[in-house]
Amino acid sequence: MMEFRTQGMNGYAVKYSPFFDSKIAVGAAANFGLVGNGRVYVLNLTPRGILAQQTWDTQDAVYDIAWSEKNENQMIAATGDGSVKLFDVSVPAGPVQQWHEHNREVYAVTWNLQTKDTFASSSWDGTIRVYSPERPQAILTLPTHSCTYSTQYSPHSPAVISSVTSDSHLRIFDLRTPASASNHLVHLIPIHGQPPTQGPSYNPLRPRHPPSEALTHDWNKYRDTVVATAGVDQIIRTFDIRNPRSGPVALLEGHKYAVRRITWSPHLSDTLLSASYDMTCRVWSDGSTMGHPTPQAPGQLPVPGRQLGEMGGHTEFVTGVDWCLFGAEGWCASTAWDERLLVWDVRATMGP
Amino acid sequence: MSAAQKRLGQVSGHLAGSKSVIAPTEGGAAGSGRAKLLQKNPDDIVVTACLRTPFTKGGKGGFKDTAAADLLIGAFKALLERSKIDPALVEDIAVGSVLPPGGGATEFRAAALAAGFPVSAAVRSLNRQCSSGLQACVDIANQISAGMIEVGVGAGVESMSLQYGPGAVTEFSELLESHPEAANCKVPMGVLSEKMAKDRNVSRDVQDAFAASSYQKAQKAQETGLFDEEIAPLTVKWEDPKTDEVKTITVSKDDGIRPGVTAESLAKIKPAFAKDGSIHGGNASQISDGAAAVLLMKRSTAEKLGQQILGKYVAASVAGVAPLLMGIGPWAAIPKVFEKIGINKDDVDIFEINEAFASQCVWCANELGIDQKKINPKGGAIAFGHPLGCTGARQVSTLLYELRRRGEKVGVTSMCVGTGMGMAAVWVAE
Repeated sequence: MMEFRTQGMNGYAVKYSPFFDSKIAVGAAANFGLVGNGRVYVLNLTPRGILAQQTWDTQDAVYDIAWSEKNENQMIAATGDGSVKLFDVSVPAGPVQQWHEHNREVYAVTWNLQTKDTFASSSWDGTIRVYSPERPQAILTLPTHSCTYSTQYSPHSPAVISSVTSDSHLRIFDLRTPASASNHLVHLIPIHGQPPTQGPSYNPLRPRHPPSEALTHDWNKYRDTVVATAGVDQIIRTFDIRNPRSGPVALLEGHKYAVRRITWSPHLSDTLLSASYDMTCRVWSDGSTMGHPTPQAPGQLPVPGRQLGEMGGHTEFVTGVDWCLFGAEGWCASTAWDERLLVWDVRATMGP
Repeated sequence: MSAAQKRLGQVSGHLAGSKSVIAPTEGGAAGSGRAKLLQKNPDDIVVTACLRTPFTKGGKGGFKDTAAADLLIGAFKALLERSKIDPALVEDIAVGSVLPPGGGATEFRAAALAAGFPVSAAVRSLNRQCSSGLQACVDIANQISAGMIEVGVGAGVESMSLQYGPGAVTEFSELLESHPEAANCKVPMGVLSEKMAKDRNVSRDVQDAFAASSYQKAQKAQETGLFDEEIAPLTVKWEDPKTDEVKTITVSKDDGIRPGVTAESLAKIKPAFAKDGSIHGGNASQISDGAAAVLLMKRSTAEKLGQQILGKYVAASVAGVAPLLMGIGPWAAIPKVFEKIGINKDDVDIFEINEAFASQCVWCANELGIDQKKINPKGGAIAFGHPLGCTGARQVSTLLYELRRRGEKVGVTSMCVGTGMGMAAVWVAE
């Protein structure tokens, strides 16, 4: 395990470069992101440890980072003052461009993985904005009417954007649909819906999942209709958007506080990694490659999926985690409020 | 509010929203049946008030001249007073009652109006024999969870003084008489219980010992005031049989509890239904008068209205058994409700099993392997009476107040039902 101290800054996001296996960007904030500056780090993994190549300070907290998919030197940062800033490693002085579109904290940014020419941000102000680096203003606003903690471009389609919000819903927007009153919204999936149960017997003690704030979600990198979500109720769920009304496919339970970030493996179609306020990162299989699962309780359909490993190296809320896209599958980085970035191998946390 | 405070609020919301298992949870492992039972959810059906009138001896007790509807008015008024709920919020009232002609439908509706409910509160009566009071509460709970109503009252009432008698059962037709199992439905309770006691080898000694302990527990509970919370005293007119003088009296205690009863003293009583029998007035439930009522709503509603939550209703079961073996009803119904919610007898702290007869109650308890200490800790129908339709609603307040007093959680109410049935329900005190 390698370590880097983000001295005086509490981590909020970590992202591996899509171009280099040894480059990591970290978004962090002073005073736990409550008040004060933010900082963006570009770090290099070297034989002498993790070294900072570049840092930029911002007026307000940095809550999320997304690398440009087009230019290996550029990344965008989501900040607390409602602005999205584009940084370039070759310009140490500060952001090369910024967009101030949101009225409240921007909590997530995502770069279009297919056409690579747009990016999007989501905010507590209840909107998602879509931008082009070439234009000074956002090119599209997608309302969610609810504090939007996370937004993602589908890795399979340049026109599909998703979000999860504090109203406990997963939204899928398809920008190919005509502009109308629905604002490109094609699916509104309740995350708290019941998993399928079997048999007619009504059990008043069946597991109940009241709506709770959803904080994070991610698209599966191999199965283009599978999305995982997680949040305050500690449960990671997977959904198949081909059948949005059937409820979650897998329920992965184990985190002891809210789940702050999840990310599917770039190497394995069933594996995902999570970071939680319970100070752990956990690696899971959603069971899709495990064959026939066994029922957990009478009257309940078998819920596939299980935890494969746990990393307890952090000593504060873990807020960011990301897989390395290159090399041996299993390398990842995590950042936390303990002012530490950890680079570690998931395989070392897994049991026999 | 400053931006920093808002951000802090947002993050603490993420933590507060977690039902974290890092904080110790009651009932052990989060996955166990009991732990699930103790979880609180906004759509739980909760009890925010429950009470009963005192029970008095049929024909001679404090309520011997009081109509069933008047008992019900007393229970309703006390319920409104205790809960301080706006009566206009109550949408439906179910009243279990066995003996009144026409099921009591007319006079119970009138009683609700007289007690202070507005005309918008609907009322119905229902009859599932001795489980009518429980059925009323369960029906209301089900109506609430199905979304039919928001707030309801489950109640039970019986004036055995005024309405008990041979008229309670219609003459059987030839078709009924010619079907052996159907004909069994009208065999009198005493006779069939005697037969069951013989069949199942429940000796008189065992019955008398159980009955005596019911009297002793009830006496002790009464002396130490353990019934005070559940009982709402009632002022009624009462005719003194000696002087024919009509007095106004306030009844605040069960008058059927006889002090100093022992198994030895019960052993001297002659059997009532057969010369060589084992059942007698001392080891069977008493004929009594009384009423009970339970106020039910969703937890979310209770919190919105600022109602005090005494406990919650979890689940209920009903089971049929052979009419001649009606006494084994709880033995059939209790495991059924356990299976529904995935708990077992060890998860339960108190069983309120109606003592229709000592023979059937003790048989069911032994057969289910229930610890004697958990059964009817304040005595039961043998000691203070069994006003048929009222008992099921009475058990709710007896159970919840005792669980709360002891700091225990899970309780079961159950009873055997004439014509061969049993009912059971699971409740959790809070």
